[in-house]
Amino acid sequence: MDRLDELRGPVPPRPHDARAIAALAANPGCARRAVLDAAGIDKDATATHLGFPAPFGQSPFAITRGNVFEALVKESGCAELLRLLREILGLPIPLASYTDLGDVGGNPSAHLRHSHTRRLLDRAARDGDDAGTLYDHPLLRLDIAGHTSYLEPDVVAFRLGGRFHIVEIKSFSVIDGQAEPDKVAAAARQAAVYVLALRDTLEELGHDPARVSHDVVLVCPENFANRPAATLVDVRRELAVLRRQLARMTRVGAIVDALEPGLTFDLVPDAGGAPTRPVADLREAVRGVGARYAPDCLSTCDLCFFCRDEAASEGSTDLLGRQVRDALGGVATVAEALGLADGSLIPDEGQEEIARLLRLADRMYAEVS
Amino acid sequence: MSTLAALARLRAVHTGAAQRLATVRHCHLSERPMVLIPLRLAGEAAAPLAAMAGTDPARPRLLVVPQPRDRDLRFAFAAELAEILLPYIEGLQKATETVERRGAEPFERCVDAPQVIVPNRSAVAFVQLLGRSTRFRRAEGEYAVHPSVPVLGRWLTFLAQRAQYPGSASLLAATEAMSLHWATGQSALEDANLASLMGWIDPPPGMTGAEAAREAEDPLVWPPAGPATDPGFDSEVLAPAIRAYAETRSDRAAARVGEAVRSQLEPTWRLMWRAVGLLGALPAGPGVAARWEGDRASFTGFAAQLAEGGPPQPKRDGAVGAASRLARMERAQASYDAQRAYDDPLVMAGHRLTGEAFTGTVLAADPDHAEGEGRGRKLRPLLTVRTSDPVRLAAGTRLGTPERRGQQAEVVEITGGHVTLKIVKGMGRGRTASPGSVPEVGERVCYAALTDEYQPPASLPAPEDTPWTHGGPPPEHVPAVEEPDEEEWA
Amino acid sequence: MSESLDDLEERINTLRSEIRRAVRAREGALARSLRAELRGAERAWDQALAAHEPTPDEAAPDEPPGSLLPVREQVHQALTLLGVPAAGKMIVAVHGALRAGSLRGPQLTSLRRDEERSFRTSPFARPYYLCAALTDRLSASRGLLAVSTWPLEKRVIGPLSPRVDFLTTAIRVAEHLLRLDEPAEQAPPGAQRLLARLAQNIPGAAPYGTGTPGAGAAVRGAGPGVVPGFAVPDPAVVVKAARAELAVHADADATARAEIAGRARDRLRDPERLFGGAMLTLARREA
Repeated sequence: MDRLDELRGPVPPRPHDARAIAALAANPGCARRAVLDAAGIDKDATATHLGFPAPFGQSPFAITRGNVFEALVKESGCAELLRLLREILGLPIPLASYTDLGDVGGNPSAHLRHSHTRRLLDRAARDGDDAGTLYDHPLLRLDIAGHTSYLEPDVVAFRLGGRFHIVEIKSFSVIDGQAEPDKVAAAARQAAVYVLALRDTLEELGHDPARVSHDVVLVCPENFANRPAATLVDVRRELAVLRRQLARMTRVGAIVDALEPGLTFDLVPDAGGAPTRPVADLREAVRGVGARYAPDCLSTCDLCFFCRDEAASEGSTDLLGRQVRDALGGVATVAEALGLADGSLIPDEGQEEIARLLRLADRMYAEVS
Repeated sequence: MSTLAALARLRAVHTGAAQRLATVRHCHLSERPMVLIPLRLAGEAAAPLAAMAGTDPARPRLLVVPQPRDRDLRFAFAAELAEILLPYIEGLQKATETVERRGAEPFERCVDAPQVIVPNRSAVAFVQLLGRSTRFRRAEGEYAVHPSVPVLGRWLTFLAQRAQYPGSASLLAATEAMSLHWATGQSALEDANLASLMGWIDPPPGMTGAEAAREAEDPLVWPPAGPATDPGFDSEVLAPAIRAYAETRSDRAAARVGEAVRSQLEPTWRLMWRAVGLLGALPAGPGVAARWEGDRASFTGFAAQLAEGGPPQPKRDGAVGAASRLARMERAQASYDAQRAYDDPLVMAGHRLTGEAFTGTVLAADPDHAEGEGRGRKLRPLLTVRTSDPVRLAAGTRLGTPERRGQQAEVVEITGGHVTLKIVKGMGRGRTASPGSVPEVGERVCYAALTDEYQPPASLPAPEDTPWTHGGPPPEHVPAVEEPDEEEWA
Repeated sequence: MSESLDDLEERINTLRSEIRRAVRAREGALARSLRAELRGAERAWDQALAAHEPTPDEAAPDEPPGSLLPVREQVHQALTLLGVPAAGKMIVAVHGALRAGSLRGPQLTSLRRDEERSFRTSPFARPYYLCAALTDRLSASRGLLAVSTWPLEKRVIGPLSPRVDFLTTAIRVAEHLLRLDEPAEQAPPGAQRLLARLAQNIPGAAPYGTGTPGAGAAVRGAGPGVVPGFAVPDPAVVVKAARAELAVHADADATARAEIAGRARDRLRDPERLFGGAMLTLARREA
């Protein structure tokens, strides 16, 4: 993996949090993203230095609301959560123990905390139900393309009948039994990351990974009150997508091997961490790995504005979204499509059908508008 | 997305300017629409932060909740919104017309109906949530709200439900109305940003649409059209202002929150009216008035229900309600698609491309052709049309035509570029076709396999006969003295 | 005066948009210096505002006499009422509901540190200290406060202790309401609400069963003192239900607590017993 370190430059790899890992599955066909993520490169810093800062931000109100709701669910030894688990999973009354794996005193390293988590989970997996029920703030670990990422979920793992479940607390509301579908999907993707990490941990400890349930408990405020309500969400599909993407990333070697020797995305930071690499130089380097821009990137990838600009300068039809590309039968550039439409370009083999349609559309457009 | 719409986007990229997708306007535009721009506090389901509303571009009303987490202030906001919206709605209930119906009692229908225009789809969803969070409130007892609040809630719910109905113009999202008529050189995802969409369609002088759209993505230049606010604005401007208000509760601090949100709303307010102006400049398609009639009838019916003291709309549809609603929507969608095609050659072109419609010249006509003998003899005028469109229609397919809206024809056969069809409806009842009902040789005609005929509603059981497999009859709504899970708004 | 306020607001607005520009451009240093300037302008604005519109000190006359006590004494009162370690939020809620107190969360943040400093300067000089609850690792538990005069067994937290202490809290709050002369429905609404919130999470304690949010709450007339949104639980029922669940956990919890307390006695010196040991030193001792 030296080559990946070389690509990144002399900075530590950027740890992936669950949100970032869940986002890896968003655009699996993009080599640029696969390489940068596998090398643990800070894409936000890269985009900013390129002059295309990412358009993301989170409102302090949303952050506060999330924290307040989580605290409410967890206060008094997860009293609210126990009520919910007793209701939806029939958790027996005697199983009420709560262990905060994050509350170890001092400010120990992630590694130390992870081994604490492992030790307690190992004990929990060996012993019967009275060993422990709720485990808050487990510090989990996931290997991504050879790099270890520590995940510090604000989730609770809980155990019942020998099986572990992940509890994900989210502050978006469920109103009359419905929540915004994209928020539920994002929560499921994120929970899948934790399920996978917990399974890996159990497997390393010699336990059956299937003891971590693919049903996660999603806790959200109900209606317009703050009262928590729980739903079981099956994340099997998300797990499959995630596994596939992680496997791809370990195979990123093939892409990396094909890169120009000496290519690096090093920002050449000065003593204060400010990047000093000439922008044009960095731009060339980033362009050295092909991207697959799609408008969906605008909500998931830090490099989106850079790649969009690149797609625009190349006149790529990717710019217009998948629907348009599908309607164009995969014609790659605007100029090519327009050339086929006005007949100035002879269609290549296999393009006859779309060329005919485009010419017809062009004729009709001229005829009626 | 049709190839035609895709081509329009390519042309927009190429020219840097939005391209027309319609030659006429397909949505009703009221003479006095109400523009409403709601803002929500980030992270909350339905906590309003502010709104700008009004029917006069020169006199927007600004509503502000200086502390959106304060329940009383939120309901005060709802009461204030009611003060703007309810007089507008009630004013439109006064003038009615009598509608005669064949075989049924005549009924009264309002001559006009409210039209509320919000910036985007998320604002429509927010209107629905605001309706949900206010319509069950009560004007007496503990936690009483102003009596106008539950009424507002029902109207907002009514509007949000109409917005799901294809072709309804009671509650419009500006981005959707504009996207129906123009294609930009960006993706549909980016079109959801009103400022960027308007940049393509109506760029400021000296700028291409593409440039204007890029500039419009800077939230400092063009604040988002809501309901979500810019996170940078939230942390740098709004949070300190709300904190100052929470600490002092002074008018001055409230005004500071007000000015902060005003700065976010005013640019969108101007954009909204520009959008209204651009839509208004398009001539209305012929089907628009009929669809608006549907909105007026629905408005009249709901106003009557409200006056009779009916219960608030339920939280969820029962099984029969949901099924019949779905069937109604599907029919409305098919009929809306057909009407737009018949109203607009540019929309029809999309159907011609897929082979469901064609345009051509009449090569031969046999207006007196008949089938059957004696009493069974039926007039069936024959036409042969030459077309270069890629027709994909099976023999026997029913066709309509924009030139003669009541008429129906049937495909007889298609050979090469020649389509033979027979007219089966709308040529008069005599032995010969009524004058003008059969196209003459040399006439340009268009036929399409799109019907916007009235179809009788699907036969579904009455709600009280809902089978147990579908949850059984829905419980009657018994208004609870308290609906406790509602007590906290957010 | 208002002119200068207007000027200041103008400047504040300009600064804010410059900051947002700088933040978007990731010019951290510039954003920081602009922020500093902004804070200055905001302070000036606050001062100008105070001069402009002298806010009468409304809070003072309304405040209940209890709040004249120092914060640590108010916290002590609340903890004594509960008799178990509690988080700041619970202390504030209990004090507000049962003592009509007006503690605020932020007042509690530095409390434990101040107490520790005082103890280390002159140990046992005060009759009591507000100290930490100890975790299984013998470190200070995040966020829980306890009283130094309590036996160690009460101040340590085993896996079942959060639940046991929660149930005890509910019992104490309910008993407090039972001791009031008036019927429960006449108790201060804050107290009712607190009890209702606690009861929701105890099987059989909420009037109409748990898990049915507010079901049946409508049955009672909205008489004075009834808190809408919550069914007002009967304190006696809460006590009974909480005791029933408590009986299930009590033995296991007591055993675990005794074991931890024993370890704490063996390994910790006085200040650590009150304020927690550092985990690293413990880890070494464990090894």
